[in-house]
Amino acid sequence: MIGLFDRVFRGSDEMYARADEVLNAAIARHGTSKPIQLPDTAYNMACSLAYAGRKITNLGELREALDHIKTMMTREYRTTDVFSTGIATAMAGEVIEACLYIDNNTPYEGTPYHGHFSDAEVRELGVPLVTNDIPGFVVIINEAPSDEEAAEIIKGYQTRGIFVFLVGGIIDQAVRMGMNLGFAVRAVAVGPEIWAVSHVVSFCVRAAMIFGAIQPGDWDGFMDYTFWRLHAFVNPYAPVNDITLAMGAGGIAMGFPAITNDTRDMWRVPKTLIIQENTKDFIETSLEARDIKLKITKVDIPVAFSNAFEGEIVRRKDMHVDIDGSRVDCLEFVQTKQLTEVEDHQIELEGPDLDEIEPGSRMSVTMVVQVAGKNMSPDFESVIERKFHNFINCAEGIMHTGQRDMIRIRVSTDAYNAGFRLRHLGEILYAKVKSEYEAVVDKCQVKICSVPEKNKEIREMANVTFDKRDARLASLTDESVDVFYTCILCQSFSPSHVCIVTPERLGLCGAVSWLDAKATNELDPSGPCQIVTKNNPVDEQLGSYVDVDEAVNKYSHGALEHVTLYSLLQDPMTSCGCFECICGIEPFSNGVVIVNREHVGMTPLGMSFSEMASMTGGGVQTPGFMGHGKHFIASKKYLKAEGGCARIVWMPAALKEQVRERLNATAKQLYDIDDFTDMICDETITEDPEELLNYLAEKGHPVLEMEPFDL
Amino acid sequence: MSDVMKFEATTVETMEADTNRLHETAVKVGVDTWQDRVANQTPHCGFGEKGICCRICTMGPCRITPKSPKGICGATADTIAGRNYLRMAAAGAAAHSDHGRECVWKLYDASPDGNFHITDETKLLKLAEEWGVETEGRDIYEVGREVATLGLGEYGKITGTSRMISRANPERIRCWEENDLLPRAIDREVVTALHMTHVGCTADPVALVHAALKVGMADGWGGSMAGTEFSDIVYGTPMPKETEGNLGVLEKEYVNVICHGHDPAVAEMIVNASESPELISLAKEQGAKGINIVGLCCVANEMAMRHGIRMVGNYLQQENAILTGVVDAIVVDLQCIFPNIGPVSECFHTKFYTTSPIAQIPYSTYLPVTSANGGEVGYRIVKEAILNFKNRDEGKIFIPEHKRKAAIGYSCEGIKSRLDAVTNSHVDEELDTYKPLIDCVKAGVIRGAAAFVGCNNPKVRPDYSHIEIMKKLIANDIVVVATGCAAQAASKAGLLEKDAKFLCGEGLKRVCTLADIPPVLHMGSCVDISRMMLLATGIAKDWGIDVPQVPVVGCAPEWMSEKAVAIANYVVATGIDTYLGVYPQVQGSDKMMELITEGTRAMTGGGYYFYTNPDDLVNAIINGIEAKRAALGI
Repeated sequence: MIGLFDRVFRGSDEMYARADEVLNAAIARHGTSKPIQLPDTAYNMACSLAYAGRKITNLGELREALDHIKTMMTREYRTTDVFSTGIATAMAGEVIEACLYIDNNTPYEGTPYHGHFSDAEVRELGVPLVTNDIPGFVVIINEAPSDEEAAEIIKGYQTRGIFVFLVGGIIDQAVRMGMNLGFAVRAVAVGPEIWAVSHVVSFCVRAAMIFGAIQPGDWDGFMDYTFWRLHAFVNPYAPVNDITLAMGAGGIAMGFPAITNDTRDMWRVPKTLIIQENTKDFIETSLEARDIKLKITKVDIPVAFSNAFEGEIVRRKDMHVDIDGSRVDCLEFVQTKQLTEVEDHQIELEGPDLDEIEPGSRMSVTMVVQVAGKNMSPDFESVIERKFHNFINCAEGIMHTGQRDMIRIRVSTDAYNAGFRLRHLGEILYAKVKSEYEAVVDKCQVKICSVPEKNKEIREMANVTFDKRDARLASLTDESVDVFYTCILCQSFSPSHVCIVTPERLGLCGAVSWLDAKATNELDPSGPCQIVTKNNPVDEQLGSYVDVDEAVNKYSHGALEHVTLYSLLQDPMTSCGCFECICGIEPFSNGVVIVNREHVGMTPLGMSFSEMASMTGGGVQTPGFMGHGKHFIASKKYLKAEGGCARIVWMPAALKEQVRERLNATAKQLYDIDDFTDMICDETITEDPEELLNYLAEKGHPVLEMEPFDL
Repeated sequence: MSDVMKFEATTVETMEADTNRLHETAVKVGVDTWQDRVANQTPHCGFGEKGICCRICTMGPCRITPKSPKGICGATADTIAGRNYLRMAAAGAAAHSDHGRECVWKLYDASPDGNFHITDETKLLKLAEEWGVETEGRDIYEVGREVATLGLGEYGKITGTSRMISRANPERIRCWEENDLLPRAIDREVVTALHMTHVGCTADPVALVHAALKVGMADGWGGSMAGTEFSDIVYGTPMPKETEGNLGVLEKEYVNVICHGHDPAVAEMIVNASESPELISLAKEQGAKGINIVGLCCVANEMAMRHGIRMVGNYLQQENAILTGVVDAIVVDLQCIFPNIGPVSECFHTKFYTTSPIAQIPYSTYLPVTSANGGEVGYRIVKEAILNFKNRDEGKIFIPEHKRKAAIGYSCEGIKSRLDAVTNSHVDEELDTYKPLIDCVKAGVIRGAAAFVGCNNPKVRPDYSHIEIMKKLIANDIVVVATGCAAQAASKAGLLEKDAKFLCGEGLKRVCTLADIPPVLHMGSCVDISRMMLLATGIAKDWGIDVPQVPVVGCAPEWMSEKAVAIANYVVATGIDTYLGVYPQVQGSDKMMELITEGTRAMTGGGYYFYTNPDDLVNAIINGIEAKRAALGI
């Protein structure tokens, strides 16, 4: 039997030889000064950047990096050498893949392969990782024993919420089985060859830099971050060759166990390299090996239920029913009742069910969820209600959008054929509300109605409550409440970041409002949301409080001393890295540019979202740059210390549309300006700072009258 | 989740600075300590040191020189050194085994309402089954008494060999049978050794070395193993827990009572008494915050492993502890107690109690402890210590601040519980095995294991060899198990902290993280080296090879006592190469030197290696382990 270490060493030699050949060919063709830049990332060649601290911009530097990689492939018979060699193998793999991107941002176009991940994709996973909605990642390599088994394992992981990266033969199998692959369904075909695994390694080290503020070159920092915070593992199917094993050594160094069915020249290492000959048991073996405990809510419905299906779209041609609140009376509504008025787990349907309608037709449906509990407060109704979107979307073949009386629910023909009926919507809501809000909801019943006339009445009744809630929300200002809340939900990934959540400034991820934080605090008093008093203001214009400073100091474990709530320049609030938007100062206009994560183009700062985002995140304070939620843009507290939202000079057009109504209203109130959003420039107008200035002058943008920033 | 952290071991220099500071107190109060006496005794007698001074009859003493190569009776250097060596081994085996016998007696005397109880019924039932004692439907104390009777019988059995031998792997048993190494009654082997070395008996060094192995076997696979097994039954089998070690565990504002020695019986009584509400309130009445019981020497190991009682220090720290001026009582049982504890205590308010007829020492209050009076004596001692709290002399008080946390309690059962935690229920069918560890060794993630045992010895720089050798081994992915004063050296340095993994190579570090263990595993007191024999045997059995093939070595870099000679003999008899940092007193005979190294290795597969330089010693261990790996093809 060949020794484990010898096999790793041999495999890494193969990878190096391949990288050497590819790079030499590239240099022969393009010369050493040829630039090399992977698309949409501020962390070019992330593996080399992270582990060797090397910034690579051209092929000459890449050559030097590869020479350095070779020196990392040391050969003592110690695990230290095997780990270093394994990581170096992944870095060499990155060199091979990067060469595909010379003069071509989309080398995998026209193939099923995804290749390189953008920074935006890394950031998008921040929230689901934090909330454990994605409890882990798996990298599946090579062909499964059969096409059916390939589909089974991919779907098996999806239904458990595990994010799936596919490399090599299994991709062809998934394609043959007609599986829907892609980032949205959390099953990505990364690439055909083993070196494509380097894209996953790049993904992981960028998560460490973005969320963990690990600095390039901090070897121990990366090792610690990936081991403790990224719950990844690898499933390489037999035959596992030397080069795959060498790549696996890199994964193991990062803390990711490998579970394989290969027995030839394979060595068992507990919790690290596990031989499971029964491939049907890969999933459970792997989850146990990586200590992944799934958050399981038993939902009694005839279709699969998992976060993986959240992003699924049901098209018109595939739907059995369209419950469309924009055309007929529909709604979802949470109502607080007395304990005696609610019979737990009662699900009532009044009116026709899905098998009584013409397939493909529109239907009026209302869902009233009545809850009761000793600790229930009507303030939590909207918090619970807003989660219905996520709850219902997790059912396979069911699509949900909107909220309140503007919902749309589509049930696919497949789901209908599998037996899905209206009462199952009730089952989903019952199970999730009871499990996620057990501290406040003691009893829960669901009333579903599909009688159009009756729904009209229900809608009118609910609208009274909706209006009341809006009035209550409008009255919730930072001044009108007695306390703020911390949110340190992200600390599992971003250990030194603390959000301070106020009524007018929700968490930067966009997912935690002041009411959410309040509810979280009630649900779990020692949990991530702690009360922050506001008894000792230092400067209310800046939003500076002694209490806030004490809280951030305590919960960042001393990493942060001062944070203001309303300033971009003085001690701005930090971010974890999963922010929806980032803003930065535009020096020519004395304004700020805001860009949201979905926007892939440039900004007048000459920086993309990724580049701006890399200026901050991971709990790092960078005056002049700040991450925030979309909702905050229209807040009266937005950049209050610098003069408010009138500072906004540029936003992507799509973002403008999302915030237009509220932003116009705020600008009207603050500055008595009508249609303020139209004064803001966007990429359809210009990305050039001088033209931006011209546009602002032409529109009479208020920023031109404002004091320069006090830099 | 843990963050990357910088781990720093406490250095020997720091420990020496504390010792020097306490020595100033000794000078001030006018008492000598071991440092002074080492100076007075140096240079040592060359004949004694080489083992060629014979004083076993009154024709002598005879000493061997080039001019006088034989004693009066004609005994050569080989004979004299051989006899001296065997006598050391016999005395060591006697000490361990007699201690073991006391532990068996405690089970015999145990009763539900007495001072001693059965704490680990599972372990008792397992031993009963092993020894063919009927357990079905019987009262547990009745079973205990029958097992104890058989245990006591092991000391004087008329025929047959040690019952514990059946625990060994078949290859080992065959080796022992073929080489006549199966020990008979424990007392018989000690007596035989003494008889053989009487004037006019065995002169052949080959037979003397053979007898040393056999009396060692009577210890390791007899008396010591009884000490461990019966202690576990009566006081509980150690499982992983946390404690602290070094002089900093003494508390100025508490009544401090030190338990020193080896047999846990007295210390158990002291701990029980210290938990009594009347005594706690008495302590408070006397102006103390409470009662702080700490251990010293191997009793510390026993009490820490079972109860998390803190460890004040190892062998050469016994005077230091009293020199802090805050020890209100020191209670000793047996073995490794400096006679000088008396004179040092006299210079302070410290009350000094001896409790065993085996160790009666001047300047002490002698309160012999029995199964019947243990509770009463323990109560009395703690009460007197409390009343003594007010007598401290403020001017003499200095407590060094240094102490380290320690994760301890790694009995074989404790180790297996951690190994079970890294199995995978979907692939590993069996639990309670050493297979996860074996897999790590086979794959190369862990290179092997080193068992650290033994004492402190001023012949080498105290604690330095233990600590520096351990650090280099763990940096080379060699896991360390330790007992006795070696384990406490590790504790003082911080090597028993789980964060000591940051000193390891990546392989051992990962294993420590996954199994949630420190890289140096504390297995107990010096009688618990029997646990190490069972560990090596268990690994050999689960692997399907013989003990000498397993990449495991023994190491005693600072050994000094006769018990250590007995231990070294059973360790090599078990087939484990043993690396020593101090020579036994046989260097005057080339023949003896050859016999205890290559001679035993040819017979049992294990022998000694000597390296007085710790750097050479650690490199030899690493090479030895790698050679065993190469022989296995891994």
